[in-house]
Amino acid sequence: MRTDEDLMELYRKGSRDAFEELFARHHRKVIHFAYRMTGDQARAEEAAQEIFLRIARAAFTWQPTAKFSTWMYTIARRTTLNYIRDEKEEGNKVPVLPGEEGPDGSPALQLSGPAALNPEEMAWSAEVQERFVEALQSLPESCRSAFVLNRGDGLSYEETAAVLGITIQAVKSRIFRAREMLMESLSGLLP
Amino acid sequence: MECRDWNERISAYVDGETPAGEVRLVEEHLKGCAACRALELRMRAVALCVSRTEADVPLLFREKLFARMESEDLLAKRRSLFAYSLRWAAIPLAAAAALAFFLLTSTERGGDRQAPSGGNPQVAQRAPANETTTRPSPAAPGGAGELTSEEREIVAHLDVLEDPSAFEDTGEFDEIEIFVPAGSGKG
Repeated sequence: MRTDEDLMELYRKGSRDAFEELFARHHRKVIHFAYRMTGDQARAEEAAQEIFLRIARAAFTWQPTAKFSTWMYTIARRTTLNYIRDEKEEGNKVPVLPGEEGPDGSPALQLSGPAALNPEEMAWSAEVQERFVEALQSLPESCRSAFVLNRGDGLSYEETAAVLGITIQAVKSRIFRAREMLMESLSGLLP
Repeated sequence: MECRDWNERISAYVDGETPAGEVRLVEEHLKGCAACRALELRMRAVALCVSRTEADVPLLFREKLFARMESEDLLAKRRSLFAYSLRWAAIPLAAAAALAFFLLTSTERGGDRQAPSGGNPQVAQRAPANETTTRPSPAAPGGAGELTSEEREIVAHLDVLEDPSAFEDTGEFDEIEIFVPAGSGKG
Protein backbone atom coordinates (compact mmCIF):
# COMPACT_ATOMS: atom_id res chain seq x y z
CA MET A 1 0.00 0.00 0.00
CA ARG A 2 1.30 3.43 -0.95
CA THR A 3 2.01 5.96 1.77
CA ASP A 4 0.53 9.46 1.77
CA GLU A 5 3.95 10.77 0.82
CA ASP A 6 4.12 8.43 -2.21
CA LEU A 7 0.70 9.63 -3.30
CA MET A 8 1.73 13.26 -2.97
CA GLU A 9 4.74 12.59 -5.18
CA LEU A 10 2.51 10.95 -7.76
CA TYR A 11 0.02 13.82 -7.61
CA ARG A 12 2.83 16.28 -8.20
CA LYS A 13 3.60 14.36 -11.36
CA GLY A 14 0.01 14.82 -12.48
CA SER A 15 -1.72 11.69 -11.19
CA ARG A 16 -5.41 12.26 -10.59
CA ASP A 17 -5.79 8.82 -9.01
CA ALA A 18 -3.17 9.71 -6.40
CA PHE A 19 -5.11 12.77 -5.28
CA GLU A 20 -8.36 10.85 -5.25
CA GLU A 21 -6.74 8.29 -2.95
CA LEU A 22 -5.43 11.01 -0.63
CA PHE A 23 -8.87 12.57 -0.59
CA ALA A 24 -10.52 9.25 0.20
CA ARG A 25 -8.16 8.70 3.12
CA HIS A 26 -8.40 12.14 4.68
CA HIS A 27 -11.55 13.99 3.75
CA ARG A 28 -13.55 12.80 6.74
CA LYS A 29 -10.80 13.80 9.16
CA VAL A 30 -10.55 17.22 7.53
CA ILE A 31 -14.30 17.87 7.65
CA HIS A 32 -14.53 16.74 11.29
CA PHE A 33 -11.52 18.85 12.21
CA ALA A 34 -13.05 21.93 10.55
CA TYR A 35 -16.34 21.29 12.35
CA ARG A 36 -14.68 20.94 15.75
CA MET A 37 -12.78 24.15 15.14
CA THR A 38 -15.61 26.25 13.72
CA GLY A 39 -18.59 24.66 15.45
CA ASP A 40 -20.70 25.12 12.32
CA GLN A 41 -21.56 22.53 9.67
CA ALA A 42 -21.78 24.94 6.72
CA ARG A 43 -18.55 26.72 7.63
CA ALA A 44 -16.85 23.38 8.16
CA GLU A 45 -17.81 22.32 4.64
CA GLU A 46 -16.55 25.55 3.13
CA ALA A 47 -13.35 25.38 5.13
CA ALA A 48 -12.77 21.73 4.22
CA GLN A 49 -13.16 22.52 0.51
CA GLU A 50 -10.69 25.35 0.88
CA ILE A 51 -8.27 23.12 2.79
CA PHE A 52 -8.11 20.59 -0.06
CA LEU A 53 -7.77 23.35 -2.64
CA ARG A 54 -4.87 24.82 -0.70
CA ILE A 55 -3.25 21.40 -0.39
CA ALA A 56 -3.49 21.00 -4.16
CA ARG A 57 -2.23 24.52 -4.86
CA ALA A 58 0.68 24.11 -2.46
CA ALA A 59 1.57 20.59 -3.57
CA PHE A 60 4.70 21.81 -5.31
CA THR A 61 5.98 23.54 -2.19
CA TRP A 62 5.56 20.40 -0.10
CA GLN A 63 8.86 18.88 0.92
CA PRO A 64 8.93 15.11 0.50
CA THR A 65 10.80 14.88 3.82
CA ALA A 66 7.81 16.29 5.71
CA LYS A 67 5.08 14.00 6.97
CA PHE A 68 1.97 14.55 4.89
CA SER A 69 -0.52 14.47 7.77
CA THR A 70 1.43 17.10 9.73
CA TRP A 71 1.54 19.34 6.67
CA MET A 72 -2.15 18.74 5.96
CA TYR A 73 -3.21 19.68 9.51
CA THR A 74 -1.00 22.76 9.41
CA ILE A 75 -2.92 23.93 6.34
CA ALA A 76 -6.21 22.82 7.88
CA ARG A 77 -5.65 24.82 11.06
CA ARG A 78 -4.59 27.98 9.23
CA THR A 79 -7.55 27.76 6.90
CA THR A 80 -10.10 27.23 9.65
CA LEU A 81 -8.57 30.10 11.62
CA ASN A 82 -9.35 32.37 8.69
CA TYR A 83 -12.95 31.21 8.76
CA ILE A 84 -13.20 31.74 12.50
CA ARG A 85 -11.78 35.27 12.16
CA ASP A 86 -14.19 36.05 9.34
CA GLU A 87 -17.04 34.81 11.48
CA LYS A 88 -16.01 37.00 14.39
CA GLU A 89 -15.70 40.03 12.13
CA GLU A 90 -19.17 39.39 10.77
CA GLY A 91 -20.53 38.99 14.30
CA ASN A 92 -22.02 35.70 13.27
CA LYS A 93 -21.61 33.87 16.56
CA VAL A 94 -24.46 31.58 17.46
CA PRO A 95 -26.15 33.15 20.48
CA VAL A 96 -27.03 31.11 23.57
CA LEU A 97 -30.78 31.26 23.80
CA PRO A 98 -32.57 31.92 27.09
CA GLY A 99 -33.82 28.73 28.63
CA GLU A 100 -30.78 26.69 27.66
CA GLU A 101 -29.42 27.11 31.14
CA GLY A 102 -30.86 25.97 34.45
CA PRO A 103 -32.07 28.38 37.13
CA ASP A 104 -28.66 28.40 38.79
CA GLY A 105 -26.77 29.01 35.54
CA SER A 106 -25.74 25.37 35.18
CA PRO A 107 -26.57 23.59 31.92
CA ALA A 108 -30.19 22.50 31.75
CA LEU A 109 -29.19 19.26 30.06
CA GLN A 110 -27.94 16.71 32.54
CA LEU A 111 -27.15 13.04 32.48
CA SER A 112 -28.20 10.95 35.41
CA GLY A 113 -27.81 7.35 36.51
CA PRO A 114 -24.88 4.96 36.12
CA ALA A 115 -24.28 5.94 32.48
CA ALA A 116 -23.19 9.36 33.62
CA LEU A 117 -20.46 7.82 35.76
CA ASN A 118 -18.81 5.88 32.97
CA PRO A 119 -17.41 7.93 30.11
CA GLU A 120 -17.53 4.94 27.77
CA GLU A 121 -21.25 4.53 28.38
CA MET A 122 -22.06 8.22 28.43
CA ALA A 123 -25.20 8.84 26.44
CA TRP A 124 -24.39 10.72 23.26
CA SER A 125 -27.08 12.60 21.47
CA ALA A 126 -27.36 15.53 19.09
CA GLU A 127 -28.24 17.65 22.09
CA VAL A 128 -25.14 16.63 24.01
CA GLN A 129 -23.00 17.20 20.94
CA GLU A 130 -24.47 20.67 20.51
CA ARG A 131 -23.64 21.53 24.10
CA PHE A 132 -20.13 20.19 23.73
CA VAL A 133 -19.47 22.02 20.45
CA GLU A 134 -20.59 25.22 22.09
CA ALA A 135 -18.24 24.65 25.01
CA LEU A 136 -15.43 23.85 22.58
CA GLN A 137 -15.93 27.14 20.77
CA SER A 138 -15.59 29.05 24.02
CA LEU A 139 -11.99 27.82 24.43
CA PRO A 140 -9.06 30.00 23.39
CA GLU A 141 -8.03 28.93 19.88
CA SER A 142 -4.55 27.88 21.02
CA CYS A 143 -6.01 25.41 23.52
CA ARG A 144 -8.78 24.23 21.21
CA SER A 145 -6.38 23.45 18.37
CA ALA A 146 -4.11 21.42 20.59
CA PHE A 147 -6.97 19.50 22.19
CA VAL A 148 -8.80 18.84 18.91
CA LEU A 149 -5.66 17.71 17.10
CA ASN A 150 -4.69 15.36 19.91
CA ARG A 151 -8.01 13.96 21.06
CA GLY A 152 -10.12 14.51 17.96
CA ASP A 153 -7.67 13.57 15.25
CA GLY A 154 -5.37 11.31 17.21
CA LEU A 155 -2.14 13.21 16.69
CA SER A 156 0.54 12.60 19.30
CA TYR A 157 1.85 15.46 21.42
CA GLU A 158 4.92 15.53 19.19
CA GLU A 159 2.85 15.73 15.98
CA THR A 160 0.57 18.36 17.53
CA ALA A 161 3.64 20.38 18.50
CA ALA A 162 4.89 20.17 14.91
CA VAL A 163 1.55 21.37 13.51
CA LEU A 164 1.28 24.25 15.98
CA GLY A 165 4.98 25.10 15.91
CA ILE A 166 5.37 24.91 19.70
CA THR A 167 7.14 22.64 22.18
CA ILE A 168 5.75 19.34 23.45
CA GLN A 169 5.58 20.82 26.95
CA ALA A 170 3.47 23.70 25.61
CA VAL A 171 1.13 21.17 23.99
CA LYS A 172 0.80 19.31 27.28
CA SER A 173 -0.10 22.54 29.10
CA ARG A 174 -2.59 23.70 26.45
CA ILE A 175 -4.39 20.36 26.45
CA PHE A 176 -4.61 20.36 30.21
CA ARG A 177 -6.02 23.93 30.23
CA ALA A 178 -8.53 22.96 27.55
CA ARG A 179 -9.65 20.03 29.70
CA GLU A 180 -10.03 22.17 32.79
CA MET A 181 -12.19 24.72 30.98
CA LEU A 182 -14.32 22.07 29.29
CA MET A 183 -14.88 20.20 32.55
CA GLU A 184 -16.01 23.41 34.13
CA SER A 185 -18.44 24.39 31.37
CA LEU A 186 -19.78 20.84 31.05
CA SER A 187 -20.02 20.08 34.72
CA GLY A 188 -23.64 19.01 34.41
CA LEU A 189 -22.90 16.54 31.65
CA LEU A 190 -19.82 14.86 33.01
CA PRO A 191 -19.50 12.21 35.70
CA MET B 1 3.00 16.93 46.44
CA GLU B 2 -0.56 18.23 46.36
CA CYS B 3 -3.30 16.91 44.07
CA ARG B 4 -3.23 20.16 42.04
CA ASP B 5 0.34 19.34 41.06
CA TRP B 6 -0.77 15.97 39.72
CA ASN B 7 -3.50 17.32 37.43
CA GLU B 8 -1.39 18.06 34.37
CA ARG B 9 0.36 14.71 34.73
CA ILE B 10 -2.98 12.94 34.93
CA SER B 11 -4.08 14.72 31.77
CA ALA B 12 -0.98 13.48 29.94
CA TYR B 13 -1.53 10.00 31.47
CA VAL B 14 -5.07 9.92 30.05
CA ASP B 15 -3.59 10.80 26.64
CA GLY B 16 -0.97 8.06 26.91
CA GLU B 17 1.80 10.63 26.84
CA THR B 18 3.33 10.11 30.27
CA PRO B 19 7.06 9.34 30.11
CA ALA B 20 7.74 5.68 30.92
CA GLY B 21 9.45 6.54 34.16
CA GLU B 22 6.43 8.49 35.46
CA VAL B 23 3.63 6.07 34.67
CA ARG B 24 4.08 4.04 37.84
CA LEU B 25 4.12 7.18 39.98
CA VAL B 26 0.88 8.48 38.48
CA GLU B 27 -0.85 5.13 38.86
CA GLU B 28 0.21 4.83 42.48
CA HIS B 29 -1.18 8.29 43.22
CA LEU B 30 -4.47 7.47 41.50
CA LYS B 31 -4.80 4.32 43.56
CA GLY B 32 -4.62 6.27 46.76
CA CYS B 33 -6.62 9.42 45.78
CA ALA B 34 -10.37 9.24 45.13
CA ALA B 35 -10.54 12.91 44.02
CA CYS B 36 -7.86 12.38 41.38
CA ARG B 37 -9.56 9.17 40.20
CA ALA B 38 -12.77 11.17 39.71
CA LEU B 39 -10.78 13.80 37.88
CA GLU B 40 -9.25 11.16 35.62
CA LEU B 41 -12.76 9.90 34.79
CA ARG B 42 -13.94 13.38 33.85
CA MET B 43 -10.84 13.95 31.75
CA ARG B 44 -11.51 10.74 29.83
CA ALA B 45 -15.15 11.77 29.32
CA VAL B 46 -14.11 15.12 27.83
CA ALA B 47 -11.70 13.36 25.48
CA LEU B 48 -14.49 11.03 24.41
CA CYS B 49 -16.76 14.00 23.71
CA VAL B 50 -14.36 15.54 21.22
CA SER B 51 -13.78 12.30 19.35
CA ARG B 52 -17.54 11.79 19.08
CA THR B 53 -18.12 15.29 17.76
CA GLU B 54 -18.37 14.80 14.03
CA ALA B 55 -19.73 16.78 11.09
CA ASP B 56 -21.98 15.33 8.44
CA VAL B 57 -20.07 14.56 5.27
CA PRO B 58 -22.06 16.25 2.48
CA LEU B 59 -23.12 14.02 -0.41
CA LEU B 60 -21.70 16.20 -3.16
CA PHE B 61 -18.60 17.31 -1.27
CA ARG B 62 -16.25 15.32 -3.49
CA GLU B 63 -17.92 16.34 -6.75
CA LYS B 64 -17.90 20.02 -5.81
CA LEU B 65 -14.25 19.93 -4.79
CA PHE B 66 -13.08 18.06 -7.88
CA ALA B 67 -15.04 20.39 -10.17
CA ARG B 68 -13.35 23.39 -8.55
CA MET B 69 -9.97 21.71 -8.85
CA GLU B 70 -10.53 20.93 -12.52
CA SER B 71 -11.57 24.52 -13.19
CA GLU B 72 -8.26 25.66 -11.65
CA ASP B 73 -6.28 23.00 -13.54
CA LEU B 74 -5.29 21.40 -10.25
CA LEU B 75 -6.65 18.02 -11.28
CA ALA B 76 -6.32 16.23 -14.59
CA LYS B 77 -9.74 15.78 -16.14
CA ARG B 78 -11.07 12.25 -16.18
CA ARG B 79 -12.03 11.25 -19.74
CA SER B 80 -15.53 9.91 -20.05
CA LEU B 81 -16.16 6.38 -21.31
CA PHE B 82 -17.79 7.91 -24.39
CA ALA B 83 -14.68 9.92 -25.19
CA TYR B 84 -12.52 6.84 -24.74
CA SER B 85 -14.87 4.81 -26.96
CA LEU B 86 -14.88 7.48 -29.63
CA ARG B 87 -11.11 7.72 -29.57
CA TRP B 88 -10.57 4.00 -29.98
CA ALA B 89 -13.44 3.57 -32.43
CA ALA B 90 -12.37 6.45 -34.69
CA ILE B 91 -10.07 4.41 -36.93
CA PRO B 92 -12.44 1.46 -37.48
CA LEU B 93 -15.34 3.88 -38.01
CA ALA B 94 -13.40 5.84 -40.59
CA ALA B 95 -12.39 2.61 -42.34
CA ALA B 96 -16.02 1.41 -42.37
CA ALA B 97 -17.21 4.76 -43.74
CA ALA B 98 -14.57 4.66 -46.49
CA LEU B 99 -15.52 1.10 -47.40
CA ALA B 100 -19.22 1.98 -47.50
CA PHE B 101 -18.51 4.98 -49.73
CA PHE B 102 -16.39 2.88 -52.04
CA LEU B 103 -19.05 0.18 -52.31
CA LEU B 104 -21.82 2.67 -53.01
CA THR B 105 -19.90 4.57 -55.66
CA SER B 106 -18.57 1.41 -57.30
CA THR B 107 -22.12 0.01 -57.46
CA GLU B 108 -23.30 3.12 -59.29
CA ARG B 109 -20.42 2.96 -61.74
CA GLY B 110 -20.91 -0.78 -62.15
CA GLY B 111 -24.57 -0.16 -63.10
CA ASP B 112 -23.50 2.24 -65.83
CA ARG B 113 -21.07 -0.30 -67.18
CA GLN B 114 -23.40 -3.26 -66.94
CA ALA B 115 -26.45 -1.65 -68.49
CA PRO B 116 -25.36 -1.82 -72.13
CA SER B 117 -24.22 -5.45 -71.76
CA GLY B 118 -27.74 -6.55 -70.96
CA GLY B 119 -27.79 -6.59 -67.17
CA ASN B 120 -30.88 -4.43 -67.31
CA PRO B 121 -32.10 -4.48 -70.91
CA GLN B 122 -34.82 -1.88 -70.52
CA VAL B 123 -32.52 0.73 -69.10
CA ALA B 124 -29.73 -0.17 -71.48
CA GLN B 125 -31.88 0.36 -74.50
CA ARG B 126 -33.62 3.48 -73.32
CA ALA B 127 -30.74 5.46 -71.95
CA PRO B 128 -28.86 6.23 -75.17
CA ALA B 129 -32.11 7.22 -76.88
CA ASN B 130 -32.87 9.75 -74.13
CA GLU B 131 -29.40 11.22 -74.33
CA THR B 132 -29.77 11.72 -78.06
CA THR B 133 -33.11 13.45 -77.83
CA THR B 134 -32.47 15.68 -74.89
CA ARG B 135 -28.84 16.55 -75.48
CA PRO B 136 -27.98 16.26 -79.16
CA SER B 137 -24.32 16.71 -79.85
CA PRO B 138 -23.34 18.86 -82.84
CA ALA B 139 -19.98 17.06 -82.88
CA ALA B 140 -21.56 13.70 -83.57
CA PRO B 141 -22.88 13.84 -87.08
CA GLY B 142 -24.00 10.97 -89.22
CA GLY B 143 -26.54 8.20 -88.94
CA ALA B 144 -30.22 8.58 -88.20
CA GLY B 145 -29.59 11.30 -85.63
CA GLU B 146 -27.70 13.67 -87.92
CA LEU B 147 -28.67 17.33 -87.40
CA THR B 148 -29.46 19.91 -89.94
CA SER B 149 -27.59 23.23 -89.91
CA GLU B 150 -30.60 24.97 -88.34
CA GLU B 151 -30.82 22.40 -85.58
CA ARG B 152 -27.09 22.83 -84.88
CA GLU B 153 -27.65 26.56 -84.49
CA ILE B 154 -30.45 25.94 -81.99
CA VAL B 155 -28.28 23.56 -80.03
CA ALA B 156 -25.46 26.11 -79.99
CA HIS B 157 -27.84 28.65 -78.51
CA LEU B 158 -29.05 26.13 -75.95
CA ASP B 159 -25.45 25.65 -74.81
CA VAL B 160 -25.16 29.36 -74.30
CA LEU B 161 -28.34 29.37 -72.21
CA GLU B 162 -27.03 26.56 -70.02
CA ASP B 163 -23.98 28.67 -69.26
CA PRO B 164 -25.15 32.30 -69.07
CA SER B 165 -21.63 33.48 -68.28
CA ALA B 166 -20.57 32.38 -71.72
CA PHE B 167 -23.21 34.59 -73.27
CA GLU B 168 -22.13 37.97 -74.46
CA ASP B 169 -24.59 40.40 -75.88
CA THR B 170 -22.84 41.48 -79.06
CA GLY B 171 -25.91 43.22 -80.39
CA GLU B 172 -26.03 40.92 -83.37
CA PHE B 173 -29.07 38.99 -82.11
CA ASP B 174 -32.20 39.88 -80.28
CA GLU B 175 -33.99 37.49 -77.97
CA ILE B 176 -36.35 36.24 -80.62
CA GLU B 177 -33.46 35.30 -82.87
CA ILE B 178 -31.96 33.19 -80.09
CA PHE B 179 -35.09 31.12 -79.41
CA VAL B 180 -36.50 31.09 -82.87
CA PRO B 181 -33.78 30.33 -85.41
CA ALA B 182 -34.00 31.98 -88.76
CA GLY B 183 -36.03 29.97 -91.21
CA SER B 184 -38.01 28.01 -88.62
CA GLY B 185 -40.95 30.45 -88.98
CA LYS B 186 -41.08 30.03 -92.72
CA GLY B 187 -41.83 26.38 -92.73
